[in-house]
Amino acid sequence: MSDLRYVGRDIARNDIVQKVSGQMRYLADLRPGGTCHARLLLSPVAHGRVKAIDGTEAAKVPGFIRLFTAEDSPRRRYNSALFLPDQQDLKDQPVFTDRPLFVGDMIGAVLAETDEAARRAAALVRVDIEPFEAVTDPVTALSAPSFRDGFPQIVEGRLSCGEGAAPREGHAELTTTVRTPKIHHAAMENHICRSHLDYDDVLVVQSPCQMIFTVRFVLSELFDRPINRVRVIKAPMGGTFGGKQEVMIEPACALMTLATGLPVQLNLDRNETINATRTRAASVGTVRTVVDGEGYFLHRETDVVVDAGAYATGGHRVAMAMGKKLFRLYRIPSQTFRTRTTFTNTTPSGACRGYGSPQIHAITEIHIDLLARKLALDPAVLRLKNLVEPGDLDPTGAPPLGNARIKDCLLKGMEHFRWNERIAAEPGDGRYRRAVGLACATHGNGYFGSPYPDFLSMAIRLCEDGTLLVNAGLHELGNGTLTVVAQITGEVLGLDPSRIVVTEGDTQTAPFDVGCVASRVTYVCGACAYEAAEKLKTLFRDQIAEATGKDAEGIELDGEVRFDDGKRLSYGDAVCLIAKVLRQEVGIYHNYAPKANPASFGVHFAEVEVDCLTGLSRVTDFLAVHDVGKAINPRLLKGQIYGGVQMGLGMALSEELAYDRSGRPKNDRFSRYPLVNAPDMPPVDVLLIEEHEPGGPYGAKSIGEICTVPTAAAVVNAVNRALVTELTELPLTPERIIAALAERESNKTGRGGQEQVMFSRTTGDSH
Amino acid sequence: MKISITVNGRLHEADVAPTTRLVDLLRNGLGLTSVKEGCSEGECGACTVIVDGKAVTSCTTLAFQMDGKSVTTLEGIAEETLHPLQQAFIDHDAVQCGFCTPGMILSAKALLDANPHPTRDEVCRALEGNLCRCTGYLPIVEAVLDGAERLSRS
Ligand code: FES
Ligand code: FES
Repeated sequence: MSDLRYVGRDIARNDIVQKVSGQMRYLADLRPGGTCHARLLLSPVAHGRVKAIDGTEAAKVPGFIRLFTAEDSPRRRYNSALFLPDQQDLKDQPVFTDRPLFVGDMIGAVLAETDEAARRAAALVRVDIEPFEAVTDPVTALSAPSFRDGFPQIVEGRLSCGEGAAPREGHAELTTTVRTPKIHHAAMENHICRSHLDYDDVLVVQSPCQMIFTVRFVLSELFDRPINRVRVIKAPMGGTFGGKQEVMIEPACALMTLATGLPVQLNLDRNETINATRTRAASVGTVRTVVDGEGYFLHRETDVVVDAGAYATGGHRVAMAMGKKLFRLYRIPSQTFRTRTTFTNTTPSGACRGYGSPQIHAITEIHIDLLARKLALDPAVLRLKNLVEPGDLDPTGAPPLGNARIKDCLLKGMEHFRWNERIAAEPGDGRYRRAVGLACATHGNGYFGSPYPDFLSMAIRLCEDGTLLVNAGLHELGNGTLTVVAQITGEVLGLDPSRIVVTEGDTQTAPFDVGCVASRVTYVCGACAYEAAEKLKTLFRDQIAEATGKDAEGIELDGEVRFDDGKRLSYGDAVCLIAKVLRQEVGIYHNYAPKANPASFGVHFAEVEVDCLTGLSRVTDFLAVHDVGKAINPRLLKGQIYGGVQMGLGMALSEELAYDRSGRPKNDRFSRYPLVNAPDMPPVDVLLIEEHEPGGPYGAKSIGEICTVPTAAAVVNAVNRALVTELTELPLTPERIIAALAERESNKTGRGGQEQVMFSRTTGDSH
Repeated sequence: MKISITVNGRLHEADVAPTTRLVDLLRNGLGLTSVKEGCSEGECGACTVIVDGKAVTSCTTLAFQMDGKSVTTLEGIAEETLHPLQQAFIDHDAVQCGFCTPGMILSAKALLDANPHPTRDEVCRALEGNLCRCTGYLPIVEAVLDGAERLSRS
């Protein structure tokens, strides 16, 4: 397919001129006026009961409209991850609560004529709360008394394959426990929502979200309104990374509109976005692997405690998604996975780029490196013995892996990164130690094969001037979704993507789509666009044949209509001709449901330099190798990888939402939450393996999530190699590094020779 | 308090409260919504504007302090055609969600106005107060280096 015109090319994203010139109107940028403004009242305590709320002083603020509390909240509770009525996840979250379960839980809101008045009034509301004891650690939470008023404290899940294996002579095994932190998504745009009541009693909600139909469904259930009287419109979005995936502040905003009939805009500040929305789930995972004398994996057990925070949300889905990845990267004849999702008095967790994958891969890939150390094997060699091959099946019965090119990723990456040479180099024994590390990863391509149905429709139409309108329920997240869909449809129809408009979601006008989530957009939505464009092309050709009386066989559609007698017609003229002669539109509606869910793969290679004096780690070189099937837009795709690496570096080295004993967040503002900035970034080299994935448009598969999955483990592995440590608690902050070095020192002096035997095959076991 | 402030080359007389922040004056008072707000504490750089040649976070600057000063927002750097830096941002795909972009371009412009031939390190340091969660910064740094080239050629 070397003659592709638009696919495989670095086409500029559709909205980039608007964005570089400051013309992009995010919701907060709509002209003030015409709407009221709301500010939330968030719980200052991690666990308690609201005894009284007094709005007397607040009501004196000029412009004050109304105070909302738990009494205004519908009785019904909801789960922010549901999108169809049959889904069974716990519905435990109220809109406004008088039993706050974390700092940031919504206990009410103030509505006023201006944002300033809303803020001032909110600050004057007097809330009397009786505080209770808080649980903040997920492991403690397993046995702590439940604070959840009858909802279970633990949700358990299991997956397994094979028969189990008892270690025999010559076998080795290792057990490792890894902790991954709670992380803030840190989209630069804070949460925001607008709602109003429109003609015919339709509730209209504008939200920078990822699943308009989920928002619609949850709102309709919560407020007992017919689904067709809830209209959710995707607003321009300043980043999400899963943070705006689940229904978040839309219920509070809609509640105020429904109660007052007024248009409402609800804004959150950074501090509120950190505390009141969602986080990446913290996890504590213990892995035990048994290998034979040559290093082939025989058996693995993984037990993960996942911190859902205070409400169920999609937390347990994340936990199960973690487990599924375990069966799709290495060939392991016998394997068990158990997860316990548990609840703490902290901000609820939910979707976050990778949906559990970065956590589970941190757990297993750090473990594999320590296992390699124990076996005195190169960690790349140990992996190569065990990685899956193209066409492998998933031993749990989940969809086959497809054209799984992980070995290509690893082998090509090793060569490109000069792995063999660099792994052999000594870390040094001075103040600065340098070493390399790597990690492998897998991720999915949609929902097919999971309990959640995966399908969507698109309506596509050629307009009278020959431009194309792709009417879809898509959500541009900043990753280039709309551009990629334009490239795919443009390729089929021979149309320059600049002549194509792909719409974002609006539940009243767009066909159904489950959402821009689950790494499904390129592989699933892209395939829908491809088929829809093919279908349109066939229809168009037939219509032209009928309208002109010529043979369809002799008509070529290549950006213009070409007849075999040499005559030409522009697309626009052909559309008008069909309108006049046939009285028909050139348009189709296409429904698509994927029949596969192959795996995407990636290997990340990191070089780090650790300053043993300060404990600071710097990533000095990086290579990301990804099995992407086909890059529809290589430049956009690389952009995903750079951003994914950046997030993973934060997870490895600096990002963590921590809480004090009473459950107060310690890092609920950017000045206390160290994000990776420009000077922190290493050079990142990207290598793409493009071997065509069947079922994907032009052979493409997902990248947006997988690109952040192996990063943290690669960095931690490099640090552990540089320092000869076994650091397994993320992030590797300077304090943790200094502590590990001190411990190693005391081991060395206390028990001479410990450092040596850590490499031997018989000791160093940590179980 | 009455102040006179030049914004994007035009003189404005404004009546501001002592607590009004520059970001509020620009966004709400003057409708210059390219100025974004991401953290409200001077940490993310989304609200960056140029004040008398220097990149400044407008969320930590009070409007009255701007009396007699000259402020540039992204709306003010391009006339008929895009500024070479903006074009470089496009050509290097230095933009994803776009929320950090106005602040990034202004920090970069303030750098290049003072130092037309920065090294890569100098670019990174000039952008260290501008957070971007999407791009991993690498395309942005490339765009700024390329923008410097383009500006010195033009
Ligand atoms: S909003 Fe001003 S620096 Fe973040
Ligand atoms: S492009 Fe999204 S924050 Fe920079």
